[in-house]
Amino acid sequence: MTDTWPRADLNPVHRLRALAAGIPGAHVTERLIDAPFDEVWPVAGDLEGEFGNYQPDMRHVRITRTNGDRLEAVARSRFGLRARFDVVSRPGWCWMQSRLLLIGVAAAPADGGTLIAMTGGVRVPGRAAILPWGVRRESAKALHRLTIRVRARAE
Amino acid sequence: MTADLAAAVRAAQAGDTMAMHDLLDALSPYVGRICGPIAYEAAPDAAQEALIAIFRGLRSLRDPAALWGWARAIAVREAVRAARRAHRGVPMDMAALPARDDPELATDVLDVLARLSPEHRAILVLRDVEGLSEQEAAEILNVAEGTVKSRLHRARQSFRKAWSP
Repeated sequence: MTDTWPRADLNPVHRLRALAAGIPGAHVTERLIDAPFDEVWPVAGDLEGEFGNYQPDMRHVRITRTNGDRLEAVARSRFGLRARFDVVSRPGWCWMQSRLLLIGVAAAPADGGTLIAMTGGVRVPGRAAILPWGVRRESAKALHRLTIRVRARAE
Repeated sequence: MTADLAAAVRAAQAGDTMAMHDLLDALSPYVGRICGPIAYEAAPDAAQEALIAIFRGLRSLRDPAALWGWARAIAVREAVRAARRAHRGVPMDMAALPARDDPELATDVLDVLARLSPEHRAILVLRDVEGLSEQEAAEILNVAEGTVKSRLHRARQSFRKAWSP
């Protein structure tokens, strides 16, 4: 009987809100982009191509190992700093952790387009905590840049 | 609980967000299975709120082996709360159940569930999905064991009525 009972399906944005709740200092910034998911995610989830274009502090990302949806990547910041990231990359979902940085991006189809959510920032080394300064501004900047990149790719 | 999951709990508590991610993967379907029948149309909100409470409180979980029971209690609490919020002012009780000869509802478990109160749905989930005893269900719902017995009886009766010819 219980096989037919309803189940709650969480979309990636729900999941990001939940995961960020366990990280003191993290803030989830959300934005509705007026484009379908199929146009938004190929940009938002393009680590080696677009990530450096829309993440304010990121210049270049290179994937060094792939094992299903688990990746290892090396990223270089605008200031030349190099960091090794553990990554989970799925449609509508990207979670990245290095010793000093956390980045989460999630997207889900929504009325009027695609809801995209972002969190992250400078990590308290080795801990699930983010230094709270500037995290909202950085995420808002990233989502603004992402929206511009999505529109540019759609043209 | 598997050794991997216990290790993930400890690593997550120590600050590894990749381990938190593993826990999110493990817990999301479970929380969704509990919140679905109880919170019904408010189920996605309930499941999200439950997972938020779980991750906020993860450091307070002393014994990793208690993860599932701890998460279950939080999920039930958030599901009942979300369902009440969604139906504030709308009485939902057994009197609202359809007549047994209602052809549209006779075979539709979802409709029968929808017409139960969140508390009745919680009892059914804890007993029939989770397989808990009446005493265990009473502890999670913070009600007397006798209340669990009577709610369960009435909830099951509603299913029997719905499926009776």
